Amino acid sequence: MPDLSPYPDSYPDAGAESGAGSTTGPPRWVKVLGIIALVLVLLVGAVMLAGGGGGHGPGRHTSGGDTGGQRPPFTATGAGGLGGHKPPSTATGSGGPGGHKPPAGGHTP
Amino acid sequence: MASRPRLRKFVLTVHVTSSVGWLGAVAVFLALSVVGLTSRDAQVVRGVYLAMESAGWVVLVPLSLASLLTGLVQSLGTKWGLLRHYWVLVKLLINVVAGIVLLMYMQTLGYLADRAADTTLPSGDLSAVRSPSPVLHAAVGMLLLLVAATLSVYKPRGMTRYGQRKQHEQRTAPAAIDAATPARPRPSGTPS
Repeated sequence: MPDLSPYPDSYPDAGAESGAGSTTGPPRWVKVLGIIALVLVLLVGAVMLAGGGGGHGPGRHTSGGDTGGQRPPFTATGAGGLGGHKPPSTATGSGGPGGHKPPAGGHTP
Repeated sequence: MASRPRLRKFVLTVHVTSSVGWLGAVAVFLALSVVGLTSRDAQVVRGVYLAMESAGWVVLVPLSLASLLTGLVQSLGTKWGLLRHYWVLVKLLINVVAGIVLLMYMQTLGYLADRAADTTLPSGDLSAVRSPSPVLHAAVGMLLLLVAATLSVYKPRGMTRYGQRKQHEQRTAPAAIDAATPARPRPSGTPS
């Protein structure tokens, strides 16, 4: 049966299989994609190791790695001091020593 | 059995719409995260991070799960199979990895949204709210989903060892059955 696909390196749209894809090893495009994926994974791993992050999650963004460590973590209640990491659940502003503050943003022209 | 092609078409429609919808939602996410990183308007920046968390749970996560589930059903219900062709296998890997990273990253988005909602933060200090992380994640996610969409359209050739073995079994099985079945006497009057 002739291959009716307009693209010789791809399967036809109808999903008809032919023996042309039955080679023993993986095709070249798989190897290229694999190499690119490997490089990306190594790159991400190196960045995570260099930044000192612990993978995905809030912890990565509270360690200063995300903003380059230019700014210390914000402590709303003033009860911090031991590392200064504020859990998300206490971010509602339950009346710390600072008392009332105006809403964020305010009026912008 | 007449409903099976209809069912297959329906699952394919859900798979295509959820996958392309996921790609579109990530594109919007990328745009929002760039706005959150660059805008000088504090309300816009805070609104962006709050919207991203909600959109993540309401749009991104359901679409990613729908894409994965319908893709599994679609591959197992057709001759393509799940592990027979490299392009299907690569798409599966992309879908699973992107879905796992998305679910893990929702924690971070929740944290960023909490910071954006924190009214005790100084209004002028946007560096406490901004983060380049969503830009990076959305860009990589979009790249992965574009690769998956391209694979779906081009369907590049290449069968896995498992696929080759299955194909060989399917080709040899009918011949083996024919050889094992004794020839029945042909009824008289039957055209040869």
